[in-house]
Amino acid sequence: MSELNYVGKSVKRKDGPDKVTGKAVYTQDVRLPNTLIGRILRSPHPHARILRIDTSRARALPGVKAVITVEDTKGIKHGFVETPRYPPDQEVLARGKVVHVGEEIAALAAVDQITAQKALGLIDIEWEILPAVFEPEDAMRPGAPEIHPNHPKAPREFANIGGTTETQWGDIEKGFAESDYVREDRFECQLRTHGYLEPHVTLAHWESDKLNVWTSSMGVFVKRAKLAKVLDLPYSSVRIHKTYVGGTFGGKIDLYSHEYCASRLSMITGRPVQITASREEIFSAYRHAQPLILEIKTGVKKDGTLVAQRIRAINNAGAFRGSGVVVIFLAWGFTMIPYRIPNLKYEGFSVYTNHTVRAPQRGHGAPKVRFAIESQMDMIAEALGIDPITIRMRNAREPGEQLPNGDNTHRGGLAACVALAAEKSDFLAKVGRDRASPPKGTLRRGIGIGASAYMGGTLIYPNGSAVIVKMNDDGSAIVLTGAIDIGQGSETVISQIVAEELSIGMDDVKIISSDTDTTPQDIGAWISGMTYVTGNAARQAAGRAREKLLQVASEKMGAEVENLVLKDKMVYHRLNPELKMSYREVIAASVATHRGDTIIGEGFWRTMRDEPTHPSLATTKGRWTENYAFSAQVAEVEVDIETGEARLVKALTVHDCGFPINPQLVKGQVDGQISMALGHAFMEEVLTKDGYTLNPNWLDYRMPTIHNMAISEDADVITEQYRVGQPYRTKEVGEGLISGILAAMGNAVYDATGVRLYSTPFSAEKILAGLRALEYAAKKVRSASKAPA
Amino acid sequence: MILFDFDYERADTLEQAVALLARLQGDARALAGGTDLLPGMRMENIRPGLLVSLSGIEPEAPQVLADGSIRIDALTRLATLENSELVRRVVPMLAQSAHVVGGNQIRQMGTLGGNLCQEVRCLHLDQKHDYQFVAPCYKRGGTCCYPFPRNAPEVCWSVYMSDIAPALIALNAQVEILGETGTRRIDVEALFTGNGLKPLALSQAELLRAVLIPAAAPGFTWGFHKSTVRGGLEFGMAVLAVALQLAEDGRTCTDARIVVGAVREGPVRPVAAERSLIGKTLDEERMEQAAADTSRVVNPLPHHGFSKRHLMDNIRVHLRRTLARALQRARDQEAGR
Repeated sequence: MSELNYVGKSVKRKDGPDKVTGKAVYTQDVRLPNTLIGRILRSPHPHARILRIDTSRARALPGVKAVITVEDTKGIKHGFVETPRYPPDQEVLARGKVVHVGEEIAALAAVDQITAQKALGLIDIEWEILPAVFEPEDAMRPGAPEIHPNHPKAPREFANIGGTTETQWGDIEKGFAESDYVREDRFECQLRTHGYLEPHVTLAHWESDKLNVWTSSMGVFVKRAKLAKVLDLPYSSVRIHKTYVGGTFGGKIDLYSHEYCASRLSMITGRPVQITASREEIFSAYRHAQPLILEIKTGVKKDGTLVAQRIRAINNAGAFRGSGVVVIFLAWGFTMIPYRIPNLKYEGFSVYTNHTVRAPQRGHGAPKVRFAIESQMDMIAEALGIDPITIRMRNAREPGEQLPNGDNTHRGGLAACVALAAEKSDFLAKVGRDRASPPKGTLRRGIGIGASAYMGGTLIYPNGSAVIVKMNDDGSAIVLTGAIDIGQGSETVISQIVAEELSIGMDDVKIISSDTDTTPQDIGAWISGMTYVTGNAARQAAGRAREKLLQVASEKMGAEVENLVLKDKMVYHRLNPELKMSYREVIAASVATHRGDTIIGEGFWRTMRDEPTHPSLATTKGRWTENYAFSAQVAEVEVDIETGEARLVKALTVHDCGFPINPQLVKGQVDGQISMALGHAFMEEVLTKDGYTLNPNWLDYRMPTIHNMAISEDADVITEQYRVGQPYRTKEVGEGLISGILAAMGNAVYDATGVRLYSTPFSAEKILAGLRALEYAAKKVRSASKAPA
Repeated sequence: MILFDFDYERADTLEQAVALLARLQGDARALAGGTDLLPGMRMENIRPGLLVSLSGIEPEAPQVLADGSIRIDALTRLATLENSELVRRVVPMLAQSAHVVGGNQIRQMGTLGGNLCQEVRCLHLDQKHDYQFVAPCYKRGGTCCYPFPRNAPEVCWSVYMSDIAPALIALNAQVEILGETGTRRIDVEALFTGNGLKPLALSQAELLRAVLIPAAAPGFTWGFHKSTVRGGLEFGMAVLAVALQLAEDGRTCTDARIVVGAVREGPVRPVAAERSLIGKTLDEERMEQAAADTSRVVNPLPHHGFSKRHLMDNIRVHLRRTLARALQRARDQEAGR
């Protein structure tokens, strides 16, 4: 029984064949008769008052079926965060003023695209232009243009504060006083976006008392909750249907205005309405990641032991609260998980600016935080004459450590990852090599390491997942799960678990997923917990079906359950293999002798099952998760010291995901994150000027192509295991690995060139400027030493 | 999606296309591969009332003429150019410059003539103007310039980014132009006005018919480089094409043509830097100096997020390397003979 047939194997993806043959139905592929085309009128100003809107000319255009403004809504607000401290702050269409370029002002439905386009041009608005502000440190200054009033609990000396997070432990001043070496640095990051290939698209169809919605999302139950709320409908009147999803990376969680508009326009017209965002809209009006400014002061002992750290994070949060207040909370977490820091003070500010609203993006702040901390870690190590591995090993969390928030690292830990990464990359033999003895030519190699940690399945609406496993009377199974497969492979993983628990084949498992009416509630694919939370619910549901099968078989075969084994849809007697029953026979017997029980198993799960509360975004108090994944990543880069051009040559990822349920899917996550991180490091930037987006297209926003991909090796540090019938612990692996490698690339550029980069991207221009500064400094030293004494 | 109505005609011959274009007086555009025109229409930077499709006209295969020059039909697809055995053998720099254009899908559709006739580019221009940069700029017939607000109305500092034009100018190529009154032939270099508002010296009813590249004399060598951020699927930060004529000693330069593309309103030839090489032995120092002079003289426009200083650095280093590679190529050929 201990041998696993499906879990732990790289079985073929369930969705693979349909996707590669083009049979998979995405939202854009769903066709309903008489569908109208919806379009949204967007703000041409970063900050302006709307004095008057006149939609009469647009309404009068033949072919236009409905036009809505905020006056046609119920005025119910929504927000990424909806708590007493952070109540919902955004209306579905602008009311009275706009606060960013591209903000939604009105929406209309027309018979075709050309009519819709013409109608948009017929909506007249009278504006009063307001002063705008784009840099968070400018926006924080008293007297800055007010985008929204300061949060009531924000410090009075600032302006435009959407929220703050503050926490500390130990005695920070005492810690710095006891430190042998203290340094302070500032790091910044560029504006990046998710780069999902499938655009935002929604089709809504109102059927007298039911709103049917197909929309590209990361979790249907969140969408339903928010959509029902702003439409003032009961959940039972809103059905989000399943479609395939073409990538999300954090950018499709929250409610988006177009989802409301398509729904409302359908309710008004009685016809289906489809709204598809153009790529330009996605770049210039939708949500991007959050550029953080991080100021870090760190004190250490001579041997590199961390004594004190003070972190100030400032988030350019855009024009509404979005997930801006979440990222400043998470930034604290990404600080405290990997290393022991006895004295810490953290403050984070989420600052309104006249940029588009922000969303989570893979890692949700972690890449920026780890880039800053791991860069400084190397600077500290160099100043103390310690190598990058030793300083990390000295501070890395071990298994069983208690974290400041009451969580525990359990069997995970960073130390093992760092040690293995150092060994596998031959780090200490390579580091410093090209600077010690520069090779001929202009190419320099460098190696760097970065560490990270990530939580999985943290509590946030809807907090828990349930799964139903229905046995068919031929012994195959139908799984009902709300889990949405956004490309990460959740349907494959859930199938593996169900097949394992029931001893049936992968092809015997069919999944009905992510439909709010037919499947049970699910946490969604955006808190790095689906394999753990929904997976355990699926294991439990299949396990309950298995228990019923065994119970009925035991009665029919006259054998103890302990003496029965399941194999290939058969129940065998352990001692007498001749004594057996097929599942078909067992299920028939169950129906016959158990009052028609067709054998259905239910399961449910959530992270921290005995902790009722969420952690506080303001104070960080409250537990987070029982699943911390740790990782150490090594980058080898090549830099041309004449041109400043740099590239990632090789990446090594050592991670602890607990255990991989599907190693190939884990590898896919690793490679995808390496690719995304090298885009962050060397290529991608959303360029903006005064709130307008300069490069709203794939051509000028450069994501890596396959030719830019580096060699990506990985190794698991296995800390957990799977046993049939037992709860298991898997850990995050889909977003945390974008962080350590980013820092590692920065450290590797330094190792190759001596140029320390304090901001991403690591552009050729910055590297060249750094090399020039070094040259200049060296000249000064030379001329000083030549000066007569 | 193109969100306005327009007519569509398919021409059977280039002459017929020219006649159609002439009749519509500026409201018609010729459609070859469409990889530049259709995005421009989608963004509504251009709104022609009629598209004259050239897709029914089969291009002639590249051919070597009696004088050893090569004639290439302007409708030749870029993929054909980069893969043509003849082109690769006789004008390898042209094949190379076609190979670095866009990605394979673009090269399967895009044509030689279309590549030369592409519009100038500017981040503010190359997007839809529904709510961003709504007021038309000078280029769109309006009264402002977004990236350079102090520019006078007749000045548009957009950049012309063809990868192929610099190679053809270095190769001293000519274009055959078909108009209402017949065919004329000009240097490729003369095709570019240097004016971002009207970058091409073509009238509304003129079409490129062919490109003619003179035969390479003994001692000819070349170098080509496209500076990019990700190495493909993008326009260049700078495009460098070098054609050198070497004396029998293999080191003395008897003629030099250097062309820098993608950093000005048209390709630029740094004539003084070219002259500094002629009659001289090409050593490291001289090539370095010519490259440094070029980067200064070209005076690159900051474009697509790249600063002028960085473009100058990039041109300086990569031009020196491109010259050195050209020299090395000549030596390798000599050694291989």
